[in-house]
Amino acid sequence: MNKQFLPRIPYGTRDFLPKEAKQKRVIENSLAVLFSRWGYDEVVTPTFEYLETIDVSSGADFGENLFKFFDNTNSILALRPDMTTPMARVAATRLKETNPPLRLFYLTNVFRHEQAQAGRQCEFYQAGVELLGAPGASADAEIIALAIESMRQAGLKDFQIGLGQVGFINGFTEEVAVSTLERQRIKQCIVNRNLVGLGEILTASGLDRETQNIISEIPLLHGGEEVISKVYKVVKNAVSREALDNLADIHRLLTSYGVGQYVKFDLGLIRDFDYYTGMVFEGYTPGLGFPLLGGGRYDNMLATFGVDSPATGFALGIERIMLALERQGITPSNVSKDLYIAWVEGAQAEAISLAAKYRQDGRTVELALAAQQPAEVETIKLAGQYRDVVYVKDNHAK
Amino acid sequence: MTSNDMEYLTIALPKGKLFAPAAKMLAEVGYTAEGLSEDSRKLVIANDELKVRFIIVKTADLPTYVEYGAADIGIIGKDVLLEEDKDVYELLDLKFGLCRMMLAVPEALAQDRLADYAHMRVATKYPKIAERFFRDAGIQVEIIKLNGSIELAPIVGLAEMIVDLVETGRTLKENKLIEVARIHPATARMVANRVSFKMKFDRINKLKEDLKRLVEGVAEK
Repeated sequence: MNKQFLPRIPYGTRDFLPKEAKQKRVIENSLAVLFSRWGYDEVVTPTFEYLETIDVSSGADFGENLFKFFDNTNSILALRPDMTTPMARVAATRLKETNPPLRLFYLTNVFRHEQAQAGRQCEFYQAGVELLGAPGASADAEIIALAIESMRQAGLKDFQIGLGQVGFINGFTEEVAVSTLERQRIKQCIVNRNLVGLGEILTASGLDRETQNIISEIPLLHGGEEVISKVYKVVKNAVSREALDNLADIHRLLTSYGVGQYVKFDLGLIRDFDYYTGMVFEGYTPGLGFPLLGGGRYDNMLATFGVDSPATGFALGIERIMLALERQGITPSNVSKDLYIAWVEGAQAEAISLAAKYRQDGRTVELALAAQQPAEVETIKLAGQYRDVVYVKDNHAK
Repeated sequence: MTSNDMEYLTIALPKGKLFAPAAKMLAEVGYTAEGLSEDSRKLVIANDELKVRFIIVKTADLPTYVEYGAADIGIIGKDVLLEEDKDVYELLDLKFGLCRMMLAVPEALAQDRLADYAHMRVATKYPKIAERFFRDAGIQVEIIKLNGSIELAPIVGLAEMIVDLVETGRTLKENKLIEVARIHPATARMVANRVSFKMKFDRINKLKEDLKRLVEGVAEK
């Protein structure tokens, strides 16, 4: 080995130093409290699963983005790329015993082997909830309202929710005579808002002009309630209309939750994962070029685990919240410690019991590890790292 | 700063030959700023009245600026978008700066079929595009990434073929290279950050519509 060994950390991983780790903990704790208050119970699942579990259920093609390895029987394992699959797996077994709905939440790290982005390394932290066994707009509205509450709870002031419905787009692509491949390509262009590519595919598709025009407008159907009523007039197919009704229902409930003002309809929103079957949404905030959170309804996933049950939920990126707070200049509350206890030679025992007393009272106490001179204690006072400094001398606490 | 500020729209423009036509086009729909020129020493050129900021960046970096939201929108060649493969929204084909990505070989090496070029070496500034092209064609080649003067590579024996962007093909002729396959045409595109597109939807969509009308008007003339 070299004389000077410089340890590296693997690509796509990071350390959280005390200040960041503390901020992370504060955010996570407040989210855990919030989720509990809404009646959600925490679940912890294994960090890795059998590859087949992830493959079979996700529909999201994680493919080469998985971290894979073998166990001692040569079965292939993979680090969980998201929590939706493990939660669905757990819920499928639980749902057989419990009456729906089931409200679950998690706070954990997930792993995806991909190009690291702003606030997303290959290992990153997610908080999320799943509401299982409940179809309908009430469950979807609860999930969205809770997502909005999470962003507020984390300290963000300025944010927006984009709300779409995959049924809206499916209604078109299923109705019109296009091949599966074309349908896939049209969807991909809508996901990426590749308007140029979408135009090219539609021109080559041989669809009638009117349909082409409507489909090419989908990525631009964005705005308040007026969008829904405007679109409703032009859309004739039943599936798309049902999707619009669903969105209108959800929005009405969100107004009752008092969060309607945060929501913008975005009918081009379908998200990258194929497993969504109903409403989908994302959360955005200024200064961060990536969504902070995303979620939606995925009614078919649990069936792959043997329980046919509707499901809806969302996941939020902890690091992205931290980055957004930093970019928006929202600093975490004062991180200084309450108390430093210094002591003179012979007063250590007393200092220890004093520290214990303060800690009992719930104060943050750092205890000196050696006797200190008055000058040293003065320096510590001046450094301002502690709200208060106590100097224990000759049996008389100052 | 930049997209952090909801009031301003930050536009990234590429250095090089797309800069002038892009700036002109934006000016025609009312988006400009005093001192907006390619050799401006200022890194950020703002027009506080119109609430717009311009940043001028290296072409290959432009998709990254937009992907991260450091710029809300940008104008960039399709060739760069394909090569950089960033997660940005491609909103409009601006139709100028037409070039084509193509495969060329020295006249003496020309083969009858594409498959006959297997196992040769390809010099290019666009390794991802080249790799995708040959992979889709089921041909194995060795790709050598260069940063410029691609035509030199076959002359000095560094590679047998080149994948490059050409406008007229004059340089090819001068170097006795012939085009053996067209990979795809490339024009300038308007791109947007995926969050900006939603948070500043009205403004970006209006700009897109204005540019679209302009592009279609030019096409009709």
